[in-house]
Amino acid sequence: MESRWGPLAQYDWSVMAPEFTILIVATLISVIDLLMPNHSNRRPLAWLGIVGSLLAGWFVLQNTGHGVVEILNGSYRVDAFGNVFKLIFLAGTIFTLLMSINYLNRGGVKEEEKVVDHGEFYYLTLTALLGSMIMSSSADAITLFVGLELLSISSYILVGTRKKHLLSNESAFKYVVSGSIASATVLYGISFLYGLTGTTNLFEMADRLGQAYMAGNALLIYIAFFLTFVGLSFKISSVPYHMWAPDVYQGAPTPITAFLSVVSKAAGFALIIRFFITAFRSVVDYNAANGPHSVLISELLLVVGILAAISMIVGNTLALRQTNIKRMMAYSSIAQAGYILVPFATLTSLIFEQTVFYLIAYLLMNMGAFAIIMIVTGDRETEDIRSFAGLYHRAPFLAIAMTFFLLSLAGIPISAGFFGKFYIFMSSLVMGNYWLAGIMIATSVVSYYYYFGIIRQMYMRPGETEAPLRVPAGIAVIVLIAFIGTVGVGIVPDSVLNFIHANFPLMDLIEAAGQ
Amino acid sequence: MSGQFVAFFILSLLTIGGAVFMISLQKVVHQVVALAFSFLSIAGLYVMLEAEFVAVTQVLVYAGSISILMLFGIMLTRHDAHEDTGRGKFKFLAFIVVAAFFVLVFMGIQTMNIEGTPANFSQQNNVLEIGKLMFSQYVIPFEIMSVLLLVALVGAIILAKREADDK
Repeated sequence: MESRWGPLAQYDWSVMAPEFTILIVATLISVIDLLMPNHSNRRPLAWLGIVGSLLAGWFVLQNTGHGVVEILNGSYRVDAFGNVFKLIFLAGTIFTLLMSINYLNRGGVKEEEKVVDHGEFYYLTLTALLGSMIMSSSADAITLFVGLELLSISSYILVGTRKKHLLSNESAFKYVVSGSIASATVLYGISFLYGLTGTTNLFEMADRLGQAYMAGNALLIYIAFFLTFVGLSFKISSVPYHMWAPDVYQGAPTPITAFLSVVSKAAGFALIIRFFITAFRSVVDYNAANGPHSVLISELLLVVGILAAISMIVGNTLALRQTNIKRMMAYSSIAQAGYILVPFATLTSLIFEQTVFYLIAYLLMNMGAFAIIMIVTGDRETEDIRSFAGLYHRAPFLAIAMTFFLLSLAGIPISAGFFGKFYIFMSSLVMGNYWLAGIMIATSVVSYYYYFGIIRQMYMRPGETEAPLRVPAGIAVIVLIAFIGTVGVGIVPDSVLNFIHANFPLMDLIEAAGQ
Repeated sequence: MSGQFVAFFILSLLTIGGAVFMISLQKVVHQVVALAFSFLSIAGLYVMLEAEFVAVTQVLVYAGSISILMLFGIMLTRHDAHEDTGRGKFKFLAFIVVAAFFVLVFMGIQTMNIEGTPANFSQQNNVLEIGKLMFSQYVIPFEIMSVLLLVALVGAIILAKREADDK
């Protein structure tokens, strides 16, 4: 079809409406920020960002249910897998922006703890969101990498926005250095794949990688897989690339810590699942002694399972020793990354439902927990766990909500986190991975100790003050939504799982367009 | 032994040598010069692969602007070259890991077997083909790159600027 506007106009660009919305809103924010008087409050910009994210979410919903749409020779595809991840990112970003409004405008903050550039803070949050949305729905290594870098660079800057704060500077620097090394590792891995297949399109790569394997390039394919996986494990903060997490989580402004632990991590999972399942699914060993078998399932994912197990062990045991609440949450998030890797490592046909269910539960409980952490640590001016002492007497609802979030993170019935873990646990049992299931149970029990440490502080330790804790409206809304979500998903987990299954047929991840 | 092989050998030696010297040299200026050698030799490798446009871009961007920018940065900042000696204990471990990795990759490359015929670009106009691809199939990454550059610019400004009220 020839049109007056050239070949580019023949694509259905409306499928990119969510991305365009975020891009336009981000641009608007930076322009309006420029035109606003210097000392006026930047709060309206955040509301603009929230409205834009809601609008983008509406566009994503419009895109769902139409099967797979590909544009630009399949380098960008809109499918249920990408859509469900985009909804998670958008929800996480809305929570982050709500928290940021309160974080940036709270009173009584020491000079060096302040973030000066409010407008840029909101702008960079949206560009990070744009990067993760690009990551979740592209099927071309170049587009994936550019999205990954947009997310990474925006987050490096956001981590360092408290620029007079020594810890924040240190954490931003560590984040940049380790992030660049991780990106280089990913690129190195992808370059091997490109060399073997001569294409960056994941679907063409899948076909040719199978041939390349049979032609005797097994070793290089293994090397490429592990390099790429190691580099990408930086984004989900799992072993072997987890060492940055505690320092960065501690030094970053609390809303950004929440963003990193939810949106950035979910984006990492979206990329890992799409990339490896799409590109490696047809690497089949036909010459094996016991019949043809998939190399991805039988060999590569075993190592992923081992790394997931190490993540759980390292995260949960090191969290026991922490006294800083944000550091503790960092180790907890390393352990959670280990749990979420289990469905990928065991690879049943329910992998997408299980991963997405856990990520939704994780989004709700983590965002709620970080909102409360932000309020409490901001009020007590310390990030020590003891800042939670006597919270039950100061703000009963907050303490009860926090209890539920922590129980959910620990995976105790009846909560969203319990069922997330339960489904994952079942999948590893079904696949006969008893050792992985055993490690999951054992490390979960270990994790009770530090989660209950906070609960003990809230109910049983006398605080330094009994004064009621004032909760700003925005934070109250986040806590309420997260609370209702965590409890609600915990009460009707099957309906949520069925809803995901019915509305987001995630298997079209590997289907061609138009089916 | 063809002339191409000799050229490849020299260029790759310079590339790797530049990178190694970049790490082991002590003075910052020397490091940048070593890095510039590495960049230029990579440009030479691109020429050998018949990717002239990429080679010229490599010279312009890396060897030209980035090295010069680094030298400017060094000249405009104070840096007292002092040796740090405390990293000897991990040296052996690092050596083992790097050596093992080298052996693995070397074996992988030795056993590499790519089917099909090599591509022939000699008859095509490099710049034209790159332009066509960049503005059709790769238009999304191209546009996202502009957002990425803007983000980097904004980030550099807000992290480095001096506030109006703390002179």
